[in-house]
Formats: sequence, structure tokens, C-alpha cells
Amino acid sequence: MQIFNPIYLLTGILSILLFTSSCQKDDPIVYEVNPQDILSPTAGKIKEKSPEQFVAVLHANLFGTPISVNDQVEVERLLRSTGDKRLTWELIVSSYMNDPNVQLPDNLIIQQDLDGFIVETYSRFYFRPPSQIELEWWRNYLTNNPNVSTELVYLAFATSDEYFFY
Amino acid sequence: MNRREFVKKAGLTAGISLASPYIMKNGLFARGAMSSAEHVVLVMFAGGVRQQESVLQRYLTESQGLTGSIYEGNIMYNLLNGQAPQDKIVYGLDPSVGPQGSLPIPAILSSSIQSQGILFPEVTAAGTGHYSGLVTLLTGSRSVTQGLRNRPRNPTIFEYARKHANLGATDVWMVGNRIGNSLPLLNYSDHPDYGVEYGANFMAPDITFGPEGEEHIKNAKSYHPEEDLGPANTMQNFLNRSFNRTGSDFGGVRNTEDEKYQLRLFFEEMFAKKASNTISHPPVVSNNDMRAVGYACEVLKWFKPKVTVVNLDSVDGCHANFTGYLRSLHRADHAVGHLWNTIQTQIPEMTDNTCLIVCPEHGRNLEPNSVLDENDWSAYDHSDLNATRIFSMVVGPGIDQNLVVGSESNPIGDISDIVLTMAEVLGVKSQVIQSGLTSSSQSLLDRI
Repeated sequence: MQIFNPIYLLTGILSILLFTSSCQKDDPIVYEVNPQDILSPTAGKIKEKSPEQFVAVLHANLFGTPISVNDQVEVERLLRSTGDKRLTWELIVSSYMNDPNVQLPDNLIIQQDLDGFIVETYSRFYFRPPSQIELEWWRNYLTNNPNVSTELVYLAFATSDEYFFY
Repeated sequence: MNRREFVKKAGLTAGISLASPYIMKNGLFARGAMSSAEHVVLVMFAGGVRQQESVLQRYLTESQGLTGSIYEGNIMYNLLNGQAPQDKIVYGLDPSVGPQGSLPIPAILSSSIQSQGILFPEVTAAGTGHYSGLVTLLTGSRSVTQGLRNRPRNPTIFEYARKHANLGATDVWMVGNRIGNSLPLLNYSDHPDYGVEYGANFMAPDITFGPEGEEHIKNAKSYHPEEDLGPANTMQNFLNRSFNRTGSDFGGVRNTEDEKYQLRLFFEEMFAKKASNTISHPPVVSNNDMRAVGYACEVLKWFKPKVTVVNLDSVDGCHANFTGYLRSLHRADHAVGHLWNTIQTQIPEMTDNTCLIVCPEHGRNLEPNSVLDENDWSAYDHSDLNATRIFSMVVGPGIDQNLVVGSESNPIGDISDIVLTMAEVLGVKSQVIQSGLTSSSQSLLDRI
């Protein structure tokens, strides 16, 4: 009986080599990029504005001037006087859109400088730039809907959820 | 028992168990025996009303020390049966010549609400505070420990109705006469199983359509629902999806886009009617209670709500002016008469199809405070046992007429019964009882 069969011996040695080599870990590759937490561009906005705050901001956004204290108090009372405050807010915004002093960009800007309009609108209402996904959506939407006016875009921003937070 | 018998008996048992909440002790079916109305209107009347000057009709004899039947009588003759006082009339209109208030306002209803329905002359209030009284009226729960600036802890009738009768936001309304005393917080509770999702539309017309509304929403643009609001909503939805966070309470009740469109049209109509002086106000309009009732009539005409609550509270001037209190009481009666008359004569969908309930949130003290008015009459606060005495009235199709249940010596009914009375009309009484969140398990109609 042959105890050390050369084929078995060779197979055993190769298996041990293969096993030991497969257990070796690679050294981590360092790309020299600083570690970053990935957050939504809106993640920092966790506090709600008070009615006085957001009407003051709205007035500045639409008219470029501060609102009077009297108007601020009146809007706060008006919002308390209705159950659907979003609807009342929409009526307030659309009422301001009827004011001859409202400062709206010309609709031509959407054709002439679409990206600039989008970036400026985000900055005006949200105090931040749009993310790449947001930019793409707006490019696509405003290109495919040429009848949408700057007024309607402002209306959408001024009545959106993010506008009520800071 | 074979299979066929088993199925038959199981079906019978299930049927009985489903019907049992509606079977009364005497074997009658409760829902069939009571109101067949599809709409219910509650008037929270009117800021602390003494039994003595209202349902007991004592006028000046149990408040100002005057004696004699000429100083007794009924100054709420749209609500109650009874003759008016004969002397010292101060609650009416001011004539061009003669004492102020000496012209009583003519009755609106040809027969009083008492004669058309049921009067519960001696009902027990939950306490002597306005807010706790209003909260109990709307929640049916006496466990009111929160103070002002807090929403009710237990669900309101609006939430019960919307959740269990599957109603929309414009089917349930609360019309306030002002925005003080946390009144705007009463249109829904913060109960986790109900809350804002089932809240009512609220408005305080003196503000909404007053100077504030005139200045900031009257000139709102009439956007086209598809060409303008369609794209605006698409863009807003994208922005909201990107943000994915909503405010805690700012938004309030949410109406559907269709409901919002109707509300916009309603607001436009109200400003137009106000400008043309055609709001459905009572014939005499001299305080914000009466204007609130006028706009409540407009809400009823436009939306035909299933549940409407109107708050009146000018009577609370009694803290400092008894004469003014009598005038406010007389006008609150006039306003309710107008409301009921409008329902019966100008809104066909609600005529003979509406149940009206009237109930003060609490009474007023037996003894006066030290404040005297222009007639040297004493004023009354609300803090003692007498202030827990109130009355209530129920009128509508299928409800007994000219019936008085209880008396001064035999109180029947509790303020927490009101929610169940409304729930019974709306067909959701058993669900409200099963919630376990009300203090009473009876409606006023069960007390008969």
C-alpha cells in the first residue's frame, strides 16, 4: 500500500496555497478625497417660519420692499380666520400678483436664460441653488410647457412646503 | 345542525348584533323614531346665558331687584314661547324719539322653535369657562383640562362625522364670530386617531371678509383651474416631493383641489355680495354675532354642509353691562330665528331636512358683581353653581313638537349629550360611543 500518493500530495499542497492566498486582504486604496456626509439640499431646513416671518419674506421676494407692521398683523389675523390656511395663503399670494408694484421677471427670460431663471428663482425663494435633479426637471418641464409664465412659477414656489421652513 | 341551518342562524345573529345599537329599551328602532334629517346645525349660544333671563323669562325680577309681573317676560320669542315684558324695555332698537332700546325687534318666526321642537329647560353644563364649555359642546367629553391655545384633546363632532360618515372638508363647517379665545382651534382636535385629516373648514367672517380680507385677498386673481392652476399644482407637487416635509399645524385643514376651487368661487362671491350689500344677514345687524349668522347662511346656501356649527358670544358683555347683555340676548334670538327661517325658506336641499340644536356653553352667576351700567343695573360673571345651569333645544324633521323635557326642579340632559345628538342625526352615534372618548353615552333624544 502506497502511503504518499504524489497526486494526492500535489493536490493537497495546491489547496493549501490557494486557501492561504485567498484570505489575504488588499490594502485600502486612498483616493485623497475628504469624507463627506451626503444630505439632501433641504436637510438643514427644519424650523417653520411664523406667519409673520413668511409674509415678510414673501413681500420682500415679490416687491423688493419690507412689509409694514400693520400689513404683517393683518395677514396673521387673516390666516387665523380660516381653516384651510394654505388656500388663504394662495389667495394672498395671487392677490399680490395682481398688485401693479409686483416685480416679476419677463416671460421671455424662460426662453433666453432658462438655467439662470431657475437658479435665480431657487435663490430668491429657497436661499439655495437647485440640485442637478431639480435643475433637470425644471429644464424639461419649462421647455415642454412654453405657456407657463414666470408668475405661475413664482406662485408654485411661494405656496410650496419648503417656503414655510428655514 | 346542518350547514344550511348554521348559515341561516349565523346570518340572523350577525344581523341582530348589527342592529342592536339602534334598538331602544322599548323595542322601537331608535334611528327610525328620531330625526330623519341629513343636515345638522349647532348654534353655540351665546357666551354665557343666565337661565333667569332666558328660559325662565324673569327679565329684571331676578337680577335687578324689581318686582311685579310687568318686569317679567320673554325677550327671546323666536326661540321660546311666552309674552314679552311690559315695562322697562331696553333690549330693542333705538327709536328716533323715546328711550334707547325701547322698540323690540319683531319676531321672525311665526311659531317659536320651542313650539316646533323640544325644549330641555334645565341641562347641566360641564363648567363655567367659555373654552371648556365650547370644547365639551364639540367633543362630548367633559375631560377638558387643556387651556386656551390648545386644540381639543378628544375628537370633535366634525372629525367623527368626516371619519365615520365619509364626508369631505366642505361638508363640515364652523363659523366663528371672531378669532379670539382660541376659537379657530376648535375645528379639529389633536387626537392621533382623528385630527386635521378630518377637520372642518373654519371662517371668522368679520376678519376673512372684513378689513383684513379686503386688503389681502379680495383682489386675488381668478386663475383658470386647468390652464393656470393645473401647471401651478404640477410644479408645486414637484417642489413638495423634493422637500418631503410638511408643517406641524400651519396648513390647517386640507381641501381637495375641487373643494379649493369652490372655496375660491365662494370667497369671490362673498366679497361681491358684501359690496352690493346682499349678504344674507338678519334684518337687524348690529354686532358680529349677527354678521356671523349672515355669513353662516351663505355657507349653508353654497355648500349645503352636513354639519355646521355657529358660535355666538356677544352676550358675554354681561361681565360689565347688563343692559348690553339683554340687548345681545335679544339679538342672538333674532339671529337664530333668521338662521332657521333661511334654512326653511331659502335652501330647498335643507328645508325639512335639517336638525337645529341650540345650546349655551354655560350659564352665569346667581349673584351680581359690583359693576353697574348706564341704568344702574348690576352685571354678572360666570363662576358659581348657577353658571352650570343651561338649556337646550332640538328641532327638525321627525322630532317631537312642542315638547318640554325636564324642569327647574328636574334637570334632564347634559352638555356632553350634544355631540351624540348630532351623531345620531348623522347616523354615526354607535361609532362615536364605541370610540370611548365621550363622557355621555346618550343623546338628548335618548333622554325623552
